[in-house]
Amino acid sequence: MTDVFIVLFGLLALVFAGVVLAVRQPMRAALALVAHMTCLAAIYACLNVHVVALFQVLIYVGAVMVFMVYTIMLLDDRDVAYRRRFSATLAPGIVVALVVGGALLRLLGPDSPPYQAAQTPASFSFATFSTEFMARYWLHFELATVLLLVGIVAAWAVIREERR
Amino acid sequence: MMGRYELLLALAAALFAMGLFGVMVRRNLLVVVMSVELMLNAVVLSFVAAADRTQTLDGAAMTFFIYVAATCEIAVAMALLVLLARRRGTLDLAAEQELKG
Amino acid sequence: MSTLTLIPLLPLLGFLVNGLLGRQLPTTVVSIVGCAFPALSFVATCVVFRQFLGTGSPLEDTLFTWAATRGFVVDAAFYFDAITAVMCLVITGIGTLIHVYSIGYMHGDAGYARYFAYLNLFLFFMLVLVLGKNLVMLFIGWEGVGLASYLLIGFWFQDPAKTAAGLKAFVVNRVGDTGFLLAAFLIWAYAGTLDFQQVNSYFGMTPPTAGVMTAIGVLLLVGACGKSAQIPLHVWLPDAMAGPTPVSALIHAATMVTAGVYLLSRMSGLFLAAEHAMTVVAWVGALTALAGATMGVTQYNLKKVLAYSTMSQIGLMVMACGVGAFSAGMFHLYTHAFFKACLFLAAGAVLHALAGEEDMRNMGGLARRLPFTFGVFLLGTLALCGLPPFAGFFSKDEILWAAYASERGSVALWLIGMTASFLTAFYMFRAVFMTFFGASRVDPHVSAHIHDAPPTMASVLAVLALGSIVAGFVGLPALWREAFGLSAPFYDLLAPVLGHFEPRADAGHTAEVALMVLAVLVGLAGIAVAWLRYGRAGADLRGGKPGLLHETVSRGYYFDAFYDKVVVRTMDWLSDTVLARRIEAPLTRTSLERPADAGARMNLWFTRLQSGDLQTYVIYALIGLAIVLGFGVAHG
Repeated sequence: MTDVFIVLFGLLALVFAGVVLAVRQPMRAALALVAHMTCLAAIYACLNVHVVALFQVLIYVGAVMVFMVYTIMLLDDRDVAYRRRFSATLAPGIVVALVVGGALLRLLGPDSPPYQAAQTPASFSFATFSTEFMARYWLHFELATVLLLVGIVAAWAVIREERR
Repeated sequence: MMGRYELLLALAAALFAMGLFGVMVRRNLLVVVMSVELMLNAVVLSFVAAADRTQTLDGAAMTFFIYVAATCEIAVAMALLVLLARRRGTLDLAAEQELKG
Repeated sequence: MSTLTLIPLLPLLGFLVNGLLGRQLPTTVVSIVGCAFPALSFVATCVVFRQFLGTGSPLEDTLFTWAATRGFVVDAAFYFDAITAVMCLVITGIGTLIHVYSIGYMHGDAGYARYFAYLNLFLFFMLVLVLGKNLVMLFIGWEGVGLASYLLIGFWFQDPAKTAAGLKAFVVNRVGDTGFLLAAFLIWAYAGTLDFQQVNSYFGMTPPTAGVMTAIGVLLLVGACGKSAQIPLHVWLPDAMAGPTPVSALIHAATMVTAGVYLLSRMSGLFLAAEHAMTVVAWVGALTALAGATMGVTQYNLKKVLAYSTMSQIGLMVMACGVGAFSAGMFHLYTHAFFKACLFLAAGAVLHALAGEEDMRNMGGLARRLPFTFGVFLLGTLALCGLPPFAGFFSKDEILWAAYASERGSVALWLIGMTASFLTAFYMFRAVFMTFFGASRVDPHVSAHIHDAPPTMASVLAVLALGSIVAGFVGLPALWREAFGLSAPFYDLLAPVLGHFEPRADAGHTAEVALMVLAVLVGLAGIAVAWLRYGRAGADLRGGKPGLLHETVSRGYYFDAFYDKVVVRTMDWLSDTVLARRIEAPLTRTSLERPADAGARMNLWFTRLQSGDLQTYVIYALIGLAIVLGFGVAHG
């Protein structure tokens, strides 16, 4: 049953990704991306990795994509870029994407090592994950906060540049 | 019959290639940034698939850092994007050819 | 470092000091530095010579191993034996005197320091040439002497003609150098060494085929011809008069032209094993002696008369080497250094007095105005003419005797030598009569300023004149040695290296006496003819319309014209039509222009790639990724 849901949401994710690439209006693309990410969150939930599913919805859909939607609303929708979807390099782009995607499928798919049964019971509930995570990735977590700080400072610098 | 892990990886690869395609051919800078997000999501998916397969913490923990990076990237990218749009009046990538040699 | 190394090193130091700092130093310091280093070098030579006489064995000093490969070692080493001793004494001794003379002669010249620097450099290279233990060291000096002569002949480089003369000396010498190098290659190919002692003993003991020996000998002779101004490479010598007169003296007496004779003597072991080459050497020497003498007869330029006489005398030396009387050649080299330096410097004094006038037709009657100069010039001339008891008599007579009495000698060679002697006496006294006797034909403006040489020049002239008188007594002929119970230190010194000259069995004392008397008579006859033609009152000095013979001889037997018309023209034609148009132009087109054009076209294509479109660049990058991944799949 779980696998069925996974396949279903996987297909949906693919479809929404296609919509992101195909539509002309960025707002529609953004909404399709939100739908795509939600589908992925559903897949994570199916896999019992609730932590990531939560992050996906909260951080990606809730924060990042809302931020992006605000940006789109800030900008002028009479932009020429809104009318023409694809650049002149469409044909080579298709070829390269197909080659890379095909190669990835070929390299990752059939030749992967055989599946091994789980050694330990699933520990991806939020509470266990949090304690485990803080116990083992405490330093990395701190470093990530520094990265976030740098991101904030960079955004602030860009805004200052805009005002000048 | 394909296992769950292989299926998820194949999905991740397909999504990654689609993101790549978007980066290469879309003219609107906003959509290009979204395509980048698509690629990031494909990577997250592959990590989660691996975590599910081995039932270990590391794959899931990695996604956390990817989210952090994605958040930073979006914060800076959106600021830059607005700045560019104000300066040039367009987000058309083909219109920006300052790198011409 | 031993005293031996000091001998060449001191002039080099002088060159460095004057060459690098000369412009900043006061003239006095330049003069002292320029003369002191050669003088110290002479002192060092004397010290080493004493050491050499004490032990009687050659001295060596190896500075470092220059090159060493399997079976082939070249050391930067100096070697001092009897031949080197003679050469070094002449070079540093006469050289120092010429330096001192130059103080007065070059006084006030703008390039004073440069002049002394070059002069010291000349001495340095010449000393390396004679002190080198192997052919490579000799070659350094050989080339260096060529360089220094080029610099000095073209010393007054503002005058294009003088620069051209320097260039000519350099280029003609290069032809000789080619012969020398080829000879060195051959020697190495057979003997496997370039060390003189080993080479001489190798070819003395186990000579290869006669053809090879002849080839080596003739090629060495070509090298010697270039430096020693022998036919057919003599053409640079008369032009070399373009340099300052002391330079001419240096080139003709102490350095440069003696190098060829030195080379022949140094390789005597090899030459004695190369019978045909010896014949060639003897005849080249004889012909040069004759040609030089005849050309001397037709010249009106005082310095050129002396130049041709040098050519003629060096020819005699080469002839002596060719008939196997190497020590006689060396002896003549040694005495010749004195009287030729004396003559040149005296001529320089005349030029100095006459504000640079070189044409003898514009001189005359100078004996009264320049008594001292006249005296030394006359002494030098008498020595050059080979009249007893002057230095030239002993050496020249020994050569003529060897030309007649040697195993390799012949009456023909002797006759040529005698003719050359006669002509030498004739043209030298012609020069004396035209310059110093008769009515003055000097420009009245110049005439007012005529003055005898200043003390620095005069003292040098006195020393050299004295040398022209007494230098010959160290090498008395065998006849005199036996008659008076004397010894000949010069020949004894050289005997271990070059051997004693042994006449043929049938050439007895009677013949020697007869030839000696004949030689003196021929010399006197030459003087008498010169007096009849040029010395008598009312003699016609301008000469009539020159005949064909006179024309040929005075133009140097058309050697220059031949080289110009045939060699230079051919090379020009070859360069212009064949090399420049047929080869160089297509070569540059295919090798340079076409690849450059192709590069430019490619570049155009590449610039089109650089569209400035960001996404295009992304695609380029990802094409690379696709290729890598595709390769991974294909070979995975």
